[in-house]
Amino acid sequence: MKRAARFATDLVGRVLAPLDLPLLLMLVLLMGVGLTVLASAAADAPHLVRNQAIRFGMGLGALLVLAHIPPARMRLWAPWVFLGSLLLLALVPVMGTGRSGGRWLYLGVFYLQPSELMKITVPMMVAWLLHRSTLPPGWTTLGACLVVLGVPVALTAMQPDLGTALLIGSAGVFAIFLAGLAWWRIGLLGLAGVAALPVLWFSLREYQRNRLLTFMNPDADPLGTGWNIAQSKIALGSGGLTGKGWGQGSQAHLDFLPEHTTDFIFAVLGEEFGWLGVVLTLALYLAILGRALWMASEARDSFGRLLGGALALSFFVYIFVNAGMISGLLPVVGAPMPLLSYGGTSAVSLLAGFGVVMSIHAHRRFGR
Amino acid sequence: MAPRRSTIRNPAAEAQTFRARAVAGFLVAAAGLTLIAGWYYKLQVVDHEQYATRSEANRIKQRPLIPPRGLIYDRAGRLLADNVPAYRLEIVGEQVRDLEATLSGLQELLGISEEEIARYRAARRTTRAFHSVPLRMRLDEAEVARFAVHRHRFPGVDVVPYLTRRYPYGELFAHVVGYVGRVDENDLRRMDDSRYAVLSHIGKAGIERQYEARLRGEVGTERVEQNARGRDIRTIAREPATPGHDLYLSIDAELQQAVVDAFEGQHGAAVVVDPRSGEVLALVSLPSYDPNLFVNGISVADYRSLMDSPSQPMFNRAVSGGYEPGSTIKPFVALAGLEHGAIRPETTIFSSGAFRLPGQQREYRDWRPGGHGRTNLVESLAQSVNTYYYQLAMDLGIERMSAYLARFGFGEPTGIDLPNEAAGILPSPHWKRMARNQAWFPGETVISGIGQGFWVTTPLQLAQATAILAADGERHPLHLLLASQAGFDSPRQREPHAPPQRVVDEAGHLAAVEAGLVAVMHSPTGTARAQAVGMDYQIAGKTGTAQRVTRRGDTSVDLDDLPFHLRHRALFVAYAPVEDPQLAIALVVESGGSGSRAAAPVARRIFDAWLQREAGP
Repeated sequence: MKRAARFATDLVGRVLAPLDLPLLLMLVLLMGVGLTVLASAAADAPHLVRNQAIRFGMGLGALLVLAHIPPARMRLWAPWVFLGSLLLLALVPVMGTGRSGGRWLYLGVFYLQPSELMKITVPMMVAWLLHRSTLPPGWTTLGACLVVLGVPVALTAMQPDLGTALLIGSAGVFAIFLAGLAWWRIGLLGLAGVAALPVLWFSLREYQRNRLLTFMNPDADPLGTGWNIAQSKIALGSGGLTGKGWGQGSQAHLDFLPEHTTDFIFAVLGEEFGWLGVVLTLALYLAILGRALWMASEARDSFGRLLGGALALSFFVYIFVNAGMISGLLPVVGAPMPLLSYGGTSAVSLLAGFGVVMSIHAHRRFGR
Repeated sequence: MAPRRSTIRNPAAEAQTFRARAVAGFLVAAAGLTLIAGWYYKLQVVDHEQYATRSEANRIKQRPLIPPRGLIYDRAGRLLADNVPAYRLEIVGEQVRDLEATLSGLQELLGISEEEIARYRAARRTTRAFHSVPLRMRLDEAEVARFAVHRHRFPGVDVVPYLTRRYPYGELFAHVVGYVGRVDENDLRRMDDSRYAVLSHIGKAGIERQYEARLRGEVGTERVEQNARGRDIRTIAREPATPGHDLYLSIDAELQQAVVDAFEGQHGAAVVVDPRSGEVLALVSLPSYDPNLFVNGISVADYRSLMDSPSQPMFNRAVSGGYEPGSTIKPFVALAGLEHGAIRPETTIFSSGAFRLPGQQREYRDWRPGGHGRTNLVESLAQSVNTYYYQLAMDLGIERMSAYLARFGFGEPTGIDLPNEAAGILPSPHWKRMARNQAWFPGETVISGIGQGFWVTTPLQLAQATAILAADGERHPLHLLLASQAGFDSPRQREPHAPPQRVVDEAGHLAAVEAGLVAVMHSPTGTARAQAVGMDYQIAGKTGTAQRVTRRGDTSVDLDDLPFHLRHRALFVAYAPVEDPQLAIALVVESGGSGSRAAAPVARRIFDAWLQREAGP
C-alpha cells in the first residue's frame, strides 16, 4: 500500500518534473482571465466557454507531452517536422476548406490549420540551421534561414492570412536576431525590406489594401472597414479607468463590437475592466515573456536557446499586434490575443510552444 | 559591438551573445507594451468622456411613436375615413442572399411591377442595409396568403402590418373629407413642422387638410436599447403618442348619396344646409374621384387620367367653382328693394319684353318674347320677370344694392371649414375699380339686377344666402364640423360656432319674398310648377339659368342645337318645407339647359328623399 502510494507519487512527480511552476501558474492565471472575459463576451453562447476550456485542456496536454521531449531529439526531428508541416501547408491551396479563405486541412479525424504548426516548426528549423553553423551567422546561413522562413510566410500570406504570416515570420526573425546577427547586417536587411514595400503593396489583396488605407484615414469610411475599429475604440474608451464591470460592456453585448469573442476580445476586457484591467493583463503577459526568455537562456545548446527565445519573443508580437490593431494603433491584420481570444488552434499551438520552452529548461542539465 | 564571426564554435560566447540579445529583446517588448499601455491610457482615461458619450449614443435610440390618425364620422356615426390594418411587403437588404433572384421570384409570385421595383431600388440606395424598405403597399389577402406559402424561399422578405387610411364610401365624400397622401416637399415647406419628418401622411384636401392639426395627434417617443443590428433589446423610457381626435361632421351620408343619385349622372354641384343651424348636410361636386387612390401613392396613369379629364373631377365645384347666379339672385335683390323702400310688395312694374335705359339703344330683354305685362313682386319671382329687376336695380342704384347683398355673404368666402374656398364676385363700382381699374357704367347695374354681368358666386354662397331666407333672416355660419372626440372613451365635445347674425329685420319683407318663391313652384304661372306636381309639402324655390351665350338682337338660338358644353348652366335655390324649413339647397347642373327643366327636378328628388325619410317608412 505504502509502496503503491510512493510509486504513484513518484510517477506523478516524474510526469510533472519538467514543468516550470512559475510559468505554469502564470499561464493558468492568464487562461482564467481568458475564460472570465469570454464568459461575458459570449453570454449568448455559453457553450463557447466550455469549448475553450476543453481546448485549454488539450493545450496543456500538448504542453506536458512536449515538455518531456528532450530538445536534442527535437533538433534531430526538426528538418522532418518542418518539411512535413510545409507539405501540409502546401496542400492547403489544393484541398483546404473553411469559411474564411480555406486555411484548414481535413485529416480524416480532425481539422488542422497547418499555418499554426508553422509557428513552432519555422523557428525550430531556423534554430536548427543556426545551430549547425558557427554564430553569429554569416550570409550563407542567413540566406538559408531566409528561405526556410520566406516560403511558409509567403504561402500563409497567400491564403490570405496576413496576421499568421506576420507571426510565423517574426518567430524566425527573432531566432536569427537572438543568434547574434550583426547589427550592420540587420540594418542592411531593414533597408532591403523598406525597398521591397512597394512590391509587397501590390501583392496584397484588395481588401488588405483597403484595411491599410482605412488605418491611415479611419474617418473616410465610418460604416465600412473603419466601423470595426471605431466601435472597438468606443468600447475601450467607454471603459474608462476601472471599466463598466464584468458582463456590463454594452458595446460587446449589443453586438456593436465585431468579433468580440475572437480578435476583439481584448476590447471587451478593456470595456469591462478598464485601463487597470488592461495594464494588469499586459503586465502578466510581460512576466510570462520574461520568464520564458530567462528559461531559454538557461539552455545547454544554441538550438534550445534560439528556439525558446524565438517562441518567447514572438509571444510579444501577438500581443502588440492585437492590442495595437483593436485600438487603431496598427492596421487590422486579424491576429488573436494569446489565450484570451476564442479559438482552439491558436491556444493549443501557444501552449505547445511553452511546452517546448519548458522542455528546453528542464533538460538544461543534460548533455548533447 | 557583436563578437566577430569565427569558424570555431565558442559555446560560452554564443550563450553570452544570446543573453545580450535576449535582454535587448525583452527591453523592446517591455517598451512595446508600455507604448500600448500609454496609448490605451489616452483612449481609456484621457478621452474617456468622448467615448462614453458615443457608446451611449450607440446603445440608446430615440424612436418616434406614430399616433393613429383621428377617424371621421358623419352625423349619424357612419365612418367616412377609417384606419385599417394593411400589409406591406418589405425587404431587409442585409438578410437577402441574392437580391436579383428574390426580386424576380417575387415578381413572378405577386406580379410586382417594374415601376414598383424601380421605386424599391431608388429607396434602397438611401437606406442602411439592416433597415427594411417597402416593395409593395397594401397587399390583398390572396397575396398575403400566397406569400406565406412561399416565405421560406425569400429570406429577408417579410409581410409587415401597418395602419392605412381608407375611405369606405370612395368617391362619395372625396370633395368633403378629401384625402391624405404621403408627405412631400411642398407639405414640408408649407407646414414647417418637425413632426412631418416622422409622420408619413398628411391631409392634402378637404376635412383631412382643414383639420390636419387635430386629426394627426401628437407624436410620442420611445427610448430603446438597440443592438448593432437595430433590434430592440428593451425599452428604457416611453412617452406614448396621443391619438388624433375623431371628428363628427354635419354631413348625412344617406342624404349625400341621395343628392348624387338625384343628379342622375349629370355634372354639377349641390350644397344642402340645415338653415336652423348652418350645418352642411350634403356637399356634392360631380364628377368625383376615388380618394383611396392617393393614400399610398397614386400611379402615374391614374393621376394623368384624373388631371387630363375635361370634366375636372378633382375640382371642387361646390366650394371653389364660380358660377353666374342668374335669376337665383332675384329674391335677394327684391329684399334689397323692400329694405330701401324702392318697392313695396304690391308695387307693379310693366314688362314689355325689352327694357331700355333712357337715351340708350341697347335692349335688355325678358325671357318671354313680348314680356310679362304688369307684375307685382310675387309674380316677378314666380315668372322670373327680368324687367322688374332691371328697373329695381336702377331704382336702388348699384351702391345700395351691392352693400345690401354683401350682408348675405356674396363676394366673400362663407368661412366654411374647407380649404380653397372661392370668394366669388359681388359687382360694385368699388370692386370694378380695384379689380379692373375701370369706371362703372349704368348698363352694368341693369344686368347685375338679374345676376348677370360680373357676378360670380359659389354654390356654397348661394346655399348660405338661401338658408338665411329659410331661417327668417338669420345667418348661421356654414360649417361641417359638429363635434370632436379625443378618444373613443372620452366625451364628445360639440364644436363651438359663431352665433347667428340677423341679416333681415322685417318679417314682412321675408314673407313677401317667400310668397314669390312658393309661387315659383306652386302657382299656375310659376317657372318650376311642373316640378311640384304630386307634392304633399311646399317648396320655396327660385330657378336660374346662367347664360353662356349672349343673345344679340332678335336672333334667338335654339339651345338644344348647341353642343353640350355651350348650353346654359341650370341653377336652383330652394328650401322646404316652407312652414318649417329643414333643408336649404343650392345646386348647379352644368350643361343642363334651363334652371326649371334641368335643376329643379334634381332639387325635388333631394327634398323627396329627405322628407320621406324624416316622415319614417
